[in-house]
Amino acid sequence: MAYLLHHLLTESAARFPDKEALRFEGQGMTYASLDSSTNQVARVLRRLGMAPGDRIGIYLHKSAASVVGVFGIMKAGGTYVPLDPNAPPKRLAHIIRNSGVKIVLTSGQKLRGVAEIVKEGSPLEALVMMDDQPSSRSSPDGLPRLIPWSQVCTEDRRPVTSEGVIENDLAYILYTSGSTGEPKGVMVSHRTLFTFINWCSKEFNMDSNDRVTSHAPLQFDLSTFDIYVTIKAGGTVIIVPENLSVFPERLADLLESEAVTVTYLVPSILSMMVNYGKLSGRKFSALRRILFAGEVFPIKYLRALVAAIPHVTYYNLFGPTETNVCAFYKVQQKDISAECTDPVPIGIACENMQVFAVDEKGDLVDTPGTAGELWVRGSGVAQGYWGDGQKTAMNFVRNPFQNCRDEIAYRTGDIVKLDNDGVNWRYVGRRDHMIKSRGYRIELGEIESVLYTHKRVKEVAVVAIPDELVGNRIKAYVVLLEGNGLTAKDLETHCSSSLPRYMVPEWIELCSDLPKTSTGKINRPLLAQT
Amino acid sequence: MRMLNNVEAIETLIVGELLEGSGRNKLDPEESLISSGILDSLSLLRLVAKLEEDFDTTVEDGELIPNNFESISRIAAFLDRKRGG
Repeated sequence: MAYLLHHLLTESAARFPDKEALRFEGQGMTYASLDSSTNQVARVLRRLGMAPGDRIGIYLHKSAASVVGVFGIMKAGGTYVPLDPNAPPKRLAHIIRNSGVKIVLTSGQKLRGVAEIVKEGSPLEALVMMDDQPSSRSSPDGLPRLIPWSQVCTEDRRPVTSEGVIENDLAYILYTSGSTGEPKGVMVSHRTLFTFINWCSKEFNMDSNDRVTSHAPLQFDLSTFDIYVTIKAGGTVIIVPENLSVFPERLADLLESEAVTVTYLVPSILSMMVNYGKLSGRKFSALRRILFAGEVFPIKYLRALVAAIPHVTYYNLFGPTETNVCAFYKVQQKDISAECTDPVPIGIACENMQVFAVDEKGDLVDTPGTAGELWVRGSGVAQGYWGDGQKTAMNFVRNPFQNCRDEIAYRTGDIVKLDNDGVNWRYVGRRDHMIKSRGYRIELGEIESVLYTHKRVKEVAVVAIPDELVGNRIKAYVVLLEGNGLTAKDLETHCSSSLPRYMVPEWIELCSDLPKTSTGKINRPLLAQT
Repeated sequence: MRMLNNVEAIETLIVGELLEGSGRNKLDPEESLISSGILDSLSLLRLVAKLEEDFDTTVEDGELIPNNFESISRIAAFLDRKRGG
């Protein structure tokens, strides 16, 4: 019985050794080959002194190597920590220090980035190179010890033992935006992800004929569906190269040419595809399911998508990284009829999970139309935030509705209301300053904190401007200390050195003061309107 | 003449909008914006919005393809065609 994520690979490799497990840029990799390569990576990590439970970084552009990497790390008993290949070195250095990463899997292309991370004060012990480019064969000055791919390939191909690793151990840590200025690491155990995988496998009838895109980057939990649910089914993971997904038309081409059966994308990518993907005349004959999550899907684009690809079943999946997916909704014709203006519901709890809403008085919401904060309980709830007991205790709390024993539930911070049918939940908004833009989760407070670290900044308000295509766009209002010639551009540069591109405000406006409410707070709703 | 101006205007726009903080302020008009990682699905939308605004044009379904956006010179040629130039 599989209980660790890499067992899924070993089992499917035994059933389908010669079947393609992965495809990337037209090249395939069989289950047998993926299984043995990942054994070799695991052996190298063990040889480097890695102990079960150690966190291992993975700093790669999306490729077959990223999948080899995650399985290799877990086979060695480690916890993988995705390092966004496009994030600024300063942010990655923080993540590496915070999680205690000492070894990183990377490629020749990213060595310059590694050097910058090391310069930011995050010492590493070793780099395992996942490619065989000339630049990946020797270690430039100032970089940690480098293990070339050719050395990985000389390792024994047989499995390593997973002694001492159990399902409650961490499979990965995903860093998400944190309101107090630094990203926080969501800890996810093997068991937690199995709850999600088991539900998906059944709900979406996954089998070995499925060909599933892997579009989302590893630091985004949509990637766990693409990789683990597909590998469990013995299907084929079609890795979407980062530069291909830039153009919606090419993504649509790939869905057709690779005969993709299931795809899981953020709504802004699907909206882009509807607007610019030249969908008319395409058949997508193999495609049977489109899953979306990460942000609200504007109904007019969903309607257009269903009209363009009518034979597919659509599902809205909902949940923060802390619960992966906790609720889901199968889209029906009535939800997208011409007179509908509301986004589709977030639906009901996934199998083996429970969701409920708690109103301001602390009571359970059970009347249709009333709103409350969404809470989640079940084994699909994450283990908290790495190294931050305080934040964990604030959000992963004792479930007050469990009378028999102590049980942890997760407070999502999402406000939901019970639909008129009394069954499905609808998303209303957030109780804090978290927003979504292109599916990325962004704490406006983190952007404000970064702006405040500039010594010439006096006061800041960062607001989200709603946008149909991408969800939200970010605008910052900044009041400077008197008498200096700082420009909006200077502040943009300052933000870019600490924040990933999707968090850098699109507009920065310098102003002499910020509007206040009668209670003296910054009037954010007013700013968001202007 | 207009072509040349477009190339410069697009370069300024990309440097200002997409390369902030990267330390780069020059781009070769023939350089691939895709393989250099300057354009991704996020920044492409941002670029399209700016181009539509600054050049008073609309990018239509079917036009968002590498052939039109691969490099600065391709973007310039695309905008020229849009204006019937």
